[in-house]
Amino acid sequence: MTARARLAATEIPAELARVVGRRVLVFSPTIRYRLAPGDRALVAPGDMVEPGTPIAERTLEAEFVEIGPIDRPTEIKPGARGEASGTVAGGSLARLWANVQAEHEEPHPGSRPAIASMADRKQAPPGVERRRPPMPGKWWVGGGDRRGKPARAKGDQRIAGTLLYQVNGRWNAAAGERHEIVESAVAGIVREARNAVEVRIEVAGSAVPGAIAAGEPSRGYLDVPRLTDGDLWASALDVGRAGAVVVAGTRLSAQAISRARAMSIRGLIACSVGEGELRDLEASRQRQRASLAPSVSFGLIALDGHGRRPLATPILALLAAMAGREVAIVTDPPLLVFDDSDVPLPELPPDWIRARSGPHAGREGRWIKSAGLYRFRGGIHLEAAVVRFADYTDTTVVPVTDLERFIF
Amino acid sequence: MSIQPRAFLTLDCGSSTTSGAVLGHVGGRWRLIAHATAPSHIEPDEVLIGLLTRLGAADPGMLADLGADGGDMPTLVATWPRLVARTTPERRIAVLAGSRRQRRRLENVALRAGWLVVGGSADGDDPVVLSRLALSPETTAVLLGADRSPSGDEKRHLPDLAALVAAITRTRPELAVVLAGSAAAYESDFGIFDEPTAIAPVAPTVGGRSTQPEPGAAGPSNDKAAGQSKTPVSASAEASAQAAESAAEVAPSAAAAATPGRPGPAPTAAADATPGRSGPAPTAAETAFRSPDAILASPHILLAPDADAGSPPGASLQQVLEGLRALPNDSRLGVARSIYSLAYVLDRSIEIVEVGLQGGLLARAEPYGQGHFAVVSSHAGLADASFAPKNPSEEVIDGLLAWSTVALDRHRAMDRLNDLRLVPWGEADGEGASFRLAAAKAAFGRLIEATPELADHPLPELLVAAGGIFTALPPSLVALALADLVRRPGVSHLALDEARILGPLGAIEDETERRRLMANLADDILMPLGSLILPAGVRPGRSAGHLRIRDATTMSEIELHPGAVQVIDLPPGRTGRADLEFRDAVRLPKRAHHFSIEVGGGLGGLLVDLRDIPMRISDRPDSRRAALEAWQRGMWPESDE
Repeated sequence: MTARARLAATEIPAELARVVGRRVLVFSPTIRYRLAPGDRALVAPGDMVEPGTPIAERTLEAEFVEIGPIDRPTEIKPGARGEASGTVAGGSLARLWANVQAEHEEPHPGSRPAIASMADRKQAPPGVERRRPPMPGKWWVGGGDRRGKPARAKGDQRIAGTLLYQVNGRWNAAAGERHEIVESAVAGIVREARNAVEVRIEVAGSAVPGAIAAGEPSRGYLDVPRLTDGDLWASALDVGRAGAVVVAGTRLSAQAISRARAMSIRGLIACSVGEGELRDLEASRQRQRASLAPSVSFGLIALDGHGRRPLATPILALLAAMAGREVAIVTDPPLLVFDDSDVPLPELPPDWIRARSGPHAGREGRWIKSAGLYRFRGGIHLEAAVVRFADYTDTTVVPVTDLERFIF
Repeated sequence: MSIQPRAFLTLDCGSSTTSGAVLGHVGGRWRLIAHATAPSHIEPDEVLIGLLTRLGAADPGMLADLGADGGDMPTLVATWPRLVARTTPERRIAVLAGSRRQRRRLENVALRAGWLVVGGSADGDDPVVLSRLALSPETTAVLLGADRSPSGDEKRHLPDLAALVAAITRTRPELAVVLAGSAAAYESDFGIFDEPTAIAPVAPTVGGRSTQPEPGAAGPSNDKAAGQSKTPVSASAEASAQAAESAAEVAPSAAAAATPGRPGPAPTAAADATPGRSGPAPTAAETAFRSPDAILASPHILLAPDADAGSPPGASLQQVLEGLRALPNDSRLGVARSIYSLAYVLDRSIEIVEVGLQGGLLARAEPYGQGHFAVVSSHAGLADASFAPKNPSEEVIDGLLAWSTVALDRHRAMDRLNDLRLVPWGEADGEGASFRLAAAKAAFGRLIEATPELADHPLPELLVAAGGIFTALPPSLVALALADLVRRPGVSHLALDEARILGPLGAIEDETERRRLMANLADDILMPLGSLILPAGVRPGRSAGHLRIRDATTMSEIELHPGAVQVIDLPPGRTGRADLEFRDAVRLPKRAHHFSIEVGGGLGGLLVDLRDIPMRISDRPDSRRAALEAWQRGMWPESDE
């Protein structure tokens, strides 16, 4: 049964209503790529993007640059586009405007597109001034004539970034010499694109929501190896899995993350990951960005949280059914994205529940009945349920707040 | 002729917990009839339907008296008036200043107003760093502030900062901008984009003490706090303030006041935004105040006083920032307002500590002056005082481990705290309860650190704990937690806002109406935990003295042991007189050997806390845990189960 069909046929017993529902799939979620001062969006609202489409250009190690006054485009003679026209205190910006992207659309007050959409660009008649006057967030390209830089360092090195603000007629920018292109990990429609702020994309497809994601948005084929006691040994992450997004089982270790990155694996999926491992990964990313060595994007997603527990079997079955297909890990919000909306879902009894926390965390079974208010360990009174876990012969009384049910 | 309702409902929709209650007009006054608590994933109406169903099963006559008239529960829930309070989600503000000193002051005020704060100063950070703070999609407001008369080091940066912030509002027009102090002079920098729309409230002071009419409220005080002096603000600001006030009056007015003392009119409409409920079309002002996103959807500039204005210093700016952050019927501000009213009604000094998932609140209200007709109050709501803050810092983990009776390494503690944020109701029993208690105490500790001015006040006569995390713990543990953290000599009654109706009652706009309702409900709304006797200056030794307690029928005597927490069984509803005779003079809060104190009972009994003030516990983790466990076991024998 497909996800769409399952949604239409969902029946939830009334007594299960008090158990928190966990949505296994969400459709057409909106994701976000965060930008910072110096970064620009390469897309505009309404643009369709495919995986691999450049959507933003990041300025690595953006610095504060005093530009000076910038002439407005109205002062440029018609037909002189691309000619030296801007002047900068202490130097020239001969090719400044020639390098600026076509940005002719007047921005909308609420959602200012970074550049015009592709369709608009094609419609612009020749000879018409397409540049916008300088404004905060506008892309700026300058030469190696920055103040305070030694003559040796000037050379022909170009710097680029976004304008920050103007004071006393002089502009300042966040710019740098090193840039990197950010490619979309998903297909979808750009809903918002603002230089230095963010690019929002409405994904065309479905996604499994996660609890935590780290690293960068990444994409690869889904690899679901055989797990040992719910775990994947780090040694199984070899070069043969390069380019894959690997299901790594219960919990991600620092060793597994390091090894996966070294083997050009594009991402890891697990039930949980520790805060320590996340900090290590972030520190490693920062070091790598500071170096000149380019690296492939790597992301990880933990579907449940931080505490060790096995992957939920419905999700594992879903991943197994999708094995071999292209998937993307998105970090904001944490999502595992499938290109297709019609995902084959496993059959599941309507009273199937899972313990998401507590001493039975990770166990799954069937709801038997409500047990009302019940006295638990430590004399704590909580609403309880009688459940039969799959690997237990007897029933167990569990706090309802420790349980979750699955919603497709 | 309309029929006056004899009952109404309250809802406190928190981030992790939803609490509902039924209040009815019984025996000539309003009473708390029943209440229930559930995780927030359960629909509020479901909570109320379940509550009324159980009430009907337990006492159908009572339900009939309340005017149920055989109606089915969903219909009753849909038709009975209700008061609703909601927790405002966390919001982040970027604090920008010309100097580090000014930045710290502004940050402190913003923190007390409940914002998540990131900050930078022009003398320490370059404009790229500052703009990154404000351009982040997580940031919803920018506070640019300066002294009323800025010194040179601060003044020379202001033009650049103002230009930077003005430029940022062009990139992010949804940002709200607050210009505080002399930064307001740069309002014209923003004029090319937008008209200023609102403005700074005035911080009245009387004799150096705060006379804010009520925390977070825009209306004038009913107190006899005459002679208020206004902080100078610009003329345009005054005009805008009037507009803002008039708008604010409309917004909470939907939470129409119940009229205690007579069976109606009970709260009508009650600012209810429950989906599916019909009601009159909202006014423009209501619409503007209804949605938090609506508030921030259009750019606007607020002019505010500097970080020193008001009493205590910063109170005026705090009020502006709270108004900008909070939802119309913000639960936390509602609690502060209710405490203000309750202090007047009970004629007692009251402190409340409320800890939730999105932050915490520490508020104090105290009657003062001749006849105690006026109440002075102050409060601080901290986003960082969440029991499970987002991205916990090392200090947060230190605080957690300091109160944990569970052996945890730092990484494990951080993982568990993050999981608690993801699943706030997860593992609420057994060891999980101990962990939650430690998290709540650590949050309480952060609140105390953020409100140093309260350390100068004596122990309040009534100390109240509130928040879902406390209501899920054994009452005796909550009493011990209060004793652990409020280390000021004195005697206090301890209580728990178990029904969580202080927030919804704070939604009643009219102070007089709220006081009348409070006068009816004062005996019902707080669950008594007991009394706390907390002497200072107890010297180490085998015995510190004796305590004799007499009530109507019995008298008992115990020996007092320094360094211990001794509990005397005194059930709820009972009162007695405790005579304490110390071997050496102690402070309680006055210095003496002999004391005779009226104490009240509660679920935790009478606590005599003879530990040091401030509390001294070993820094060694094992010894510290052992000490905490020993104190805890006395109050929570079931912990070993």
